[in-house]
Amino acid sequence: MQKTVLIVEDEVIIAMDMQATLESLGWIVIGPTPTVKGAMLLIDQELPSLAILDMNLGRDLVTPVAEALKSRDVPFLVASACLDPVALGGDVFIGITNIGKPFNEQGVIAALATLDWPDQC
Amino acid sequence: MNIDDLYRQLRLGHVQAQGIVDTISDPLVVLDTRLCVLSANRSFFETFNVDGFETIGKPIYELGKGQWDIPELRKLLVEIIPRATAIIDYEVETEFPDLGRRTMLVTARGLTHAGGPRSILLTIKDATETIQQDIAKDILYGEMRHRVRNLLTIAEVMARTTSTEGRTADQYRDTFLGRFRALTQAHEIALGEPGGLGLQRVIECILVPYATATSVVIDDSPETDLECASLVTLSLVFHELATNAAKYGALSAPEGRVHVWWEINEAVEELCLHWVESGGPPVAPQVRNGQGSMLIASSVEYTLAGQLKQRYLKEGLQLALTIPISKSSAGREQGHAKDRADSGR
Repeated sequence: MQKTVLIVEDEVIIAMDMQATLESLGWIVIGPTPTVKGAMLLIDQELPSLAILDMNLGRDLVTPVAEALKSRDVPFLVASACLDPVALGGDVFIGITNIGKPFNEQGVIAALATLDWPDQC
Repeated sequence: MNIDDLYRQLRLGHVQAQGIVDTISDPLVVLDTRLCVLSANRSFFETFNVDGFETIGKPIYELGKGQWDIPELRKLLVEIIPRATAIIDYEVETEFPDLGRRTMLVTARGLTHAGGPRSILLTIKDATETIQQDIAKDILYGEMRHRVRNLLTIAEVMARTTSTEGRTADQYRDTFLGRFRALTQAHEIALGEPGGLGLQRVIECILVPYATATSVVIDDSPETDLECASLVTLSLVFHELATNAAKYGALSAPEGRVHVWWEINEAVEELCLHWVESGGPPVAPQVRNGQGSMLIASSVEYTLAGQLKQRYLKEGLQLALTIPISKSSAGREQGHAKDRADSGR
């Protein structure tokens, strides 16, 4: 099984950087996509092993994507400058790690290690 | 002094005291030990839309259709006040029939008169708006913090992704600072002119460092308000276009020209921007397929959900970018912040 990660991030330069970081760590990146709609399409096409989500996508919140992932048992991380994802995005973010912005490679590796994704072993 | 003078003096004192109490802008009420109203000031009557007849002598819980029969207030009056001298800004939140849901700050003082019965002085301050303003301020602060963090992230990533290959440190620094300045400028304009962010202004500012009197022509085009994020992205796109033109295209030759204009297609809600170079050296596409070109393409297609068409003609680069806009794009950013402020309450 390949390990795949979905990236949802509306800022292109950050998305590209995150993609490069994850690819260098051996991940296959799905996306990145800047919109809820795009993320939903990608999830329908192929369920990722896990996902990294930005909270604010232009005028939308990423919440529907988080809910879709949760209902399909896909673990995810948040990468946002937002202090309190639960207050902003709702209960689906309870207990979710926020790797923050700017994010760094060590932070991503540490956070990924905390996730329980199916083909980890 | 006879009894009439004494009465007059007492009456004058009472009228003066009542006058003072009436000038206090916060509602004020005095209760006896049974929690019946002894007196109240004008502001109390006005704020709660009651009159003296239906107030004086009545238990506070019965006032104004029982609007003061609030468990928190009962606790304050029955349990806390008898044991304390004063309670300051005790928060009571309730639904008032005429006012709606309000948050009141109640300050209570026990008054003991020599030999007489104890009474309670209550002042009531409507803090609803102050509290809402505080919440709105917190949200605004959060929004600003979010934007600043985002901006710093972009700057950091810019520094990291600006290529170092085959470049001297000076060249790297200049390329990075060019991008960084475009970012700064776009934000300056975006934050400096709330409500309407003119595309013309942004493009002019970005192109100023590259333009001589005749080298860049920006046609009068329909003014359009874009949201902050789109403008910032467009600024970076124009910065990259200008840098490329200065390196390889029309702006690298004395006779070179860049012609910029745009039109709005309202039927399909699209903005189409044109960048047409002429008079420069002939350029092959592969020469211009560097990092800058990649940034242009991904910004347009990814962030702006637009389309990019470019043709390398003998005269120079011809580029058209089409991005979707919505008719309500004016002030959208502000509406966004407001929506969130509302939902946060």
